[in-house]
Amino acid sequence: MSFIHDPEFGNRIITLMAALVLVLQIATAGQRWLISTIRLFALQSFLLASIAGIIAYFNQASHLYVAALLTLILKAWLLPLLLERLVEKVGIRQEIEPLINVPLSILISGCLTLVGYVVAESFYHPEETSVRAALGHNTLAVAISLFLIGFFTMLNRRKAVTQVLGLLFLENGLFLAAISLTYGMPMVVELGIFFDVLVAVMVLGILVFRISETFDSMDVSKLRKLRG
Amino acid sequence: MILLWLLIIPLAAGPLAFFLQRRPAMEAVNLVAFAALLFLAAMLGFQVLQSGPVSLWDGFLYADALSALIVLLTAFVALVCSIYAVGYFRHDERSGAFQEEGDEDGVLAGHKLRKYYALTPLFVFAMVLVALANNLGVLWVAIEGTTLASVFLVTFYGRDTSLEAAWKYAIIGSVGLSMALFGTILTYYSAHQMLGTETLSGLNWSVLAGNAAQLDKPTMRLAFILILLGYGTKAGIAPMHTWKPDAYSEAPVPVAAVLAAGVLNCALYGLVRFYILTSKCLGPEFSSQLLIAFGLLSMGVAVPFILVQRSFRRLLAYSSIDHGGIMLLALGFGGPLGILGMLLHMTFHSITKPLLFFCAGNVQQHLKTDLFRKAKGGLIHSMPFSGAAFLMATLAVTGSPPFSLFQSEFTILRAAFGGGHILAAVLFVAFLVAIFSGFLVHIANLVLGPDPGVPPAEICPWKKYSLVGLGTVIVILGFWIPAPLYSLIESATSVVVNGR
Repeated sequence: MSFIHDPEFGNRIITLMAALVLVLQIATAGQRWLISTIRLFALQSFLLASIAGIIAYFNQASHLYVAALLTLILKAWLLPLLLERLVEKVGIRQEIEPLINVPLSILISGCLTLVGYVVAESFYHPEETSVRAALGHNTLAVAISLFLIGFFTMLNRRKAVTQVLGLLFLENGLFLAAISLTYGMPMVVELGIFFDVLVAVMVLGILVFRISETFDSMDVSKLRKLRG
Repeated sequence: MILLWLLIIPLAAGPLAFFLQRRPAMEAVNLVAFAALLFLAAMLGFQVLQSGPVSLWDGFLYADALSALIVLLTAFVALVCSIYAVGYFRHDERSGAFQEEGDEDGVLAGHKLRKYYALTPLFVFAMVLVALANNLGVLWVAIEGTTLASVFLVTFYGRDTSLEAAWKYAIIGSVGLSMALFGTILTYYSAHQMLGTETLSGLNWSVLAGNAAQLDKPTMRLAFILILLGYGTKAGIAPMHTWKPDAYSEAPVPVAAVLAAGVLNCALYGLVRFYILTSKCLGPEFSSQLLIAFGLLSMGVAVPFILVQRSFRRLLAYSSIDHGGIMLLALGFGGPLGILGMLLHMTFHSITKPLLFFCAGNVQQHLKTDLFRKAKGGLIHSMPFSGAAFLMATLAVTGSPPFSLFQSEFTILRAAFGGGHILAAVLFVAFLVAIFSGFLVHIANLVLGPDPGVPPAEICPWKKYSLVGLGTVIVILGFWIPAPLYSLIESATSVVVNGR
């Protein structure tokens, strides 16, 4: 059973899972049901937590276990739960027609993935053959793609909840970048970021709720009284 | 120890005010806390000047002259705003601005005040932490904290427009800051390769500054662009400035003043820290070109909006975008003179800007509108105090002599010519002149002119003395800068120029 300790094997698993994460992200571009988008987010966070755990195991980076556990609790369970509650309370279940239609959105997401790979290429030092360099290269590309697609989702969708989800997808991309490039941020920073994400979702959730009460809609394109 | 108290005082004042509930008690807690904060910040300044950087908890908290300057400015702004807030919210209460349907006994109004007095100290706490954090990751967490603490201060009045403003503020701010986080991760990555450790100190400023030359160059280049976009969004630099006019005009005046004079500094502070690393690693040209471009863009964007502005609250926001641009420009010109100009400008701007907000707040509370069209001019007759102060503050903020912002802008101009940035210097002066004339015409039309017959406004002592006090400070600063303050700014300049 020597492969269980072989970092090379760990890298392959991680690359495979990172690819799955990317697939989930592109799937959200074609998703119109809010609940399904939230579940996709939960699934993606679960995969990220596993990736963190695997990196921690194969590289003896024990502090990453904490990050993995926190991701599991916070992003795979608590935040999706809060968001589902919010969607039920607001009573809007489906995204209205996005600004750009679904096939084109998926195509654009694909192009953004390409951009992610091009950007990640510039960090690739072929002379460095260490395990970490190989790991960083592939997952960084995925991380940048997640970041860009999350950005695109926020621009493309008009429901306030979807924008919050876009922000969370962005954050997942950053988490993947952090764990694959540097085996996570320093512990204090990691905890601080988790705290900020949690508070941000609660703050934005309250705002979404109040917006939907005041405007009878979650459509943020109706927020256009302030100009000039 | 002083570092610890600087954080504990505002952190404790928030919950304390929340539990005290009664208005005089909450006001007292805020005033005492911020007065103590200013005193401690001044102490910190003296200590840093005498014996160099201070650190605590194994280097988790760290203050050099630059941090001490930011803490000092933050504490000053917090104190003057809390003094003004007493008069401002009492006036709101009397005039029934808090009244909502079905709230006869003022319960909801009490909740609103409680929200303000409990959240403001937390907001200030996050800003102080920005300046005192040694770890650049913690700095990011604290800047995001300033956004989160202030979202519900922007929604204070609960109008549908304030919800809209808060939504833009929170979403644009968070997206921008996620870019800054990406930049921070990349910086950590480039330091990681060099240090090869997974310790906390890998993102510590005190460690990075010493080894900046060895950071990975391509990574730092991308990191700086992301940081500039990220913290630039938080500072309201064009083209990421769109949240600013909304948030500034919808938030209560004391909150808007803290946003304009406090948070702007904190965001720029984060940017400056990374600027130091980047210019040590890549040489100054790379960052300076970007900074000059964004600085000029911000000033340029502000010009048309100031010229045709219809609301004086939004006018102030565009002035803030303009000043953010000026500071970026000064940083871009670089060299000891440019940096000195930037820090002088930051100091004078933080002291002058609140006065402008207070005057605008008084006028808005009296006329119940912030539109020039409805104001009809001639305010000097009904509000002699606020009207005169408004004119003076306008002259001061647009950088006319003898006020202190003229000195800093002149220093920046000298830096521009010294560094050979002739085109940028010409544009800088042109924008300044356009903004000066636009601003002055608007405010002069508002304040001067025949009496439109508006009943005279009564002005309570809290408001009056905050105007008079702050106005006196501004006038004095135009002629005389206290020696310790100037040497603090000078040593902060040397921190930026030499990296220590």
